[in-house]
Amino acid sequence: MSLEKVIFGFFVLLAATLNFGFFIGDISDAALHNEYELFAAVVVNLIATVLKFGDRTQIGAVHLATSLVADLQLIAATITWVYATQISGAGMTPENTASVVSLSGGALLANLVSVALLVIETTTFRRR
Amino acid sequence: MKKHRPHRRTRIARPTENSSTVFLVLRRMRAPLIVLILIFAISVFGLTLIPGQDADGNPVRMGFFDAFYFMSYTATTIGYGEIPHPFTGAQRLWVTLTIYLTVIGWAYAIGSLLATLRDRAFREALALRRFTGTVRRLREPFLLVVGYGQTGQMLGQALDALGRRFVVVDNSAEHVDTLDIDPYVADVPGLVADAANPHTLGVAGIEHPACEGVVALTDNDEVNLIVAMTAALIRPGLPVIARTVSPAIEHRMHAFGSPTVVNPFDRYGDHLRLALHAPSAYLLMSWLVRGEGAEMPAPGRPPATGRWVVCGFGRFGHKLIEDLRADHLEVTVIDLNPEAEPGLTMIEGDASEPSVLAEADLATAAGFVAGTDNDATNLSLVAAARKENPALFIGARQNRPPSAPLFAAMEIDWLLVPSEMAAREIYARLSTPLLWRFLQEMPELGEEWAADTLERMQAYCGMRLGPVWKVNLTEQEAPGVRPWLGAGITLGDLLRSPGDRERRLDAVPLMLLRDGETTLRPDDDVTVTTGDQLLLVGRGRTPRALLDTLTNRVVAEYVLTGRHIPAGWVAQRVTGRIPASPD
Repeated sequence: MSLEKVIFGFFVLLAATLNFGFFIGDISDAALHNEYELFAAVVVNLIATVLKFGDRTQIGAVHLATSLVADLQLIAATITWVYATQISGAGMTPENTASVVSLSGGALLANLVSVALLVIETTTFRRR
Repeated sequence: MKKHRPHRRTRIARPTENSSTVFLVLRRMRAPLIVLILIFAISVFGLTLIPGQDADGNPVRMGFFDAFYFMSYTATTIGYGEIPHPFTGAQRLWVTLTIYLTVIGWAYAIGSLLATLRDRAFREALALRRFTGTVRRLREPFLLVVGYGQTGQMLGQALDALGRRFVVVDNSAEHVDTLDIDPYVADVPGLVADAANPHTLGVAGIEHPACEGVVALTDNDEVNLIVAMTAALIRPGLPVIARTVSPAIEHRMHAFGSPTVVNPFDRYGDHLRLALHAPSAYLLMSWLVRGEGAEMPAPGRPPATGRWVVCGFGRFGHKLIEDLRADHLEVTVIDLNPEAEPGLTMIEGDASEPSVLAEADLATAAGFVAGTDNDATNLSLVAAARKENPALFIGARQNRPPSAPLFAAMEIDWLLVPSEMAAREIYARLSTPLLWRFLQEMPELGEEWAADTLERMQAYCGMRLGPVWKVNLTEQEAPGVRPWLGAGITLGDLLRSPGDRERRLDAVPLMLLRDGETTLRPDDDVTVTTGDQLLLVGRGRTPRALLDTLTNRVVAEYVLTGRHIPAGWVAQRVTGRIPASPD
C-alpha cells in the first residue's frame, strides 16, 4: 500500500461524492442544494486535478482530462451562481438553480468517469 | 554464390521529447499548488462561517463570492479594505491568521516555480527541445560537427565564412558556449551531450534528409570511432570525416563503410617529405588550404638531408620515422623505453638530460624533432639542441593551444599543431572537393611545375589568396555559352573579360576534370566542352565576371566572338543582330 495512492484515491472519490451530494435533489429547488457543498466540491476537484499533474502515461492523461472537464463545469456553475445572487439581483430563482445544478451534473458525469478510470487502473495493476 | 543480406535502413528510435518540459514543471508544482488551494479554501470557508455586522448592527454572514473576492485581493497583498461592511473583531482575528497563511502559500508557490525554471534538468530539457526544433526546421544542407574543440572551432568558422550550415554536438558546455560568444554569420545550433550515444546523433539530425555529412573531431578516438560507426550503420553512404591519431582506431574505422580518416601525425611526415623534395609544391599546398584571404606563406627553410634526431617514439614518432626512413634518411631515436627496431639507432633515456642528448651527437646531425606529448619538454629540448648545434633544422610538436606564442617565439622551422593541421585538411576536403583532388595529384608534377604555378598565381591574384571556386560547364549552370560548347572554344576564350575581351580575367585554371580524367593547370588553348568541370583561383571579383559570361547569352556572344548584341528582343529585331541560336 502506498500513501500516495491512498491520497490520490481519496481525493478522486471525495470529488465525486461531494459533487453527487450537491447535485442530488429537485433540480429547481434552491433549498435542496447547499452552496457550501458546491464550494467544497470545487476545492476538492481542484486538488484532485493538481494531483493528476505530471503523469505521462496514457491513463494518467485521460485522468487529467476528466478532472479538467469537471473543474470547468463546476467553475461554470459557480459563476452562474455568482451571477444570479450578486449581479442580476434575481437571486436563486428556480431557473437559475436549475442551470447551476445541471452544470454540476455535467461535472458529476466527468467525476464518475474519473472514478471508473481509478477502478480500472486498480484492477489492472499487478504487483510483479 | 554469395548471398547478400537484405539491407534495411535502421532508424534511431527517438524518445518523445515534445511535452516533457511542461510535464516536468507540472510535476514539480503539484505540492505548492495544492498548498495554495487548501489555504485559499480554508480562508474563504472561515470567512463565510464567522458572523459579521452590517452598518445597522444586524448580524450578517459574508457570502462565498465576497469572501473569495476579499481573500483574492488580500492574499495577493493588494488590499482594498474591509467589504461589504467593516469587520468585527472575530473576523479581523481570522483575517490576520489568513494573511500570514496566504503569504506563506504564495511565497512557496512562486519560489518553487522559480526554482524549477532555474533547475539544471529543466533548462537542459528546454535546451534540448529548442535544439531539436531548430535542427528539424533546417532546410539547407548542413554538416554535423561532433566535437567542437580547437579543431572544430577553426573548421566551423571557416565553413561559416563560406556560407555553409552546420550543427554542433560536444560534451563540454564551454565549447558549445563559444557558438554564442564568437561571431557567426548563420545561427549554429549546438547541443551539450555525449556523442557516443546514438540518440544524441539522432537528435542532432543524422537522419535529417538535409544532413550532408558527419565530421567527428572529438579529442577521444573511441568516441570518433563510435560516431563513424553510427553514421555508417544509420545512414550508409553518408560522407564521414573522422580524426584520429591512432592507427588501430583508423583501421577499425575503415571496417565501417568508407570514412575519410584524418591523422595529423601522419600528415606531418608526409608534408615534411614533400617539403624535402619539392619545397614549392609544399608552399602551393599550404597556401591553398589556408582559405580565401590568406597571405602566401613564407618559403621557410627547406628541411635538411642528413642524420635526424627524433625525441619521443610514441605514435607521432613512429609515423614520422616511417616517413623519414622512406626517404633513406638516417634516424637516431631518443626515448625513455624504446622498443628496438632494426635499422634505427636507439638511445634509451630522458632526452632532457645533457648526457643523453650528448650521446645523440647533435653536432653531426642535420635535423632535430622534439616530438614528446609535453610542451614544456619539447620547448626545453629545442633550446638545448640549438645550443649544441645552431645550424640544426628544428621540428617540434605543439600539444596545447595556449603554448602557441612560446613556440612562435622559438622560431621553430617545422611546427606541428595537430588541431590546425586537421582543421585545414578537413576544410580543403569539404569546401571544394575538386581542390582536394588537385592537392593530391599536384605533387607528382614536380618542383618546377609547382614553382611556375605559384608564380602565375602571384601574377594573377597578388600576395593574398583569392577565391578558389568550381565551374560546371553544364547546360543548367552555363546556359550562356551553350551554343559554343562543343564548337571548339578554348579555355582562353572563356577567360576573356566581359568588359574588354582583349583583356584576360585574373584567374588561373588549376584543374580541368573531364569524364573522371584530370588535367592539372590546363593551358589557355585547351578546348572545353559540355560536362567539363573547372577549378579556378582568381581575384575577388573574377567569379562574378565569369558567371556573367556563363549565364548571359549577350555577354557570352561578346566575350567569345566579339559581336555586340542588344540585350532586348525588340532592339535585336530592329538592328537585325540576333544572338546565335542554341543549336
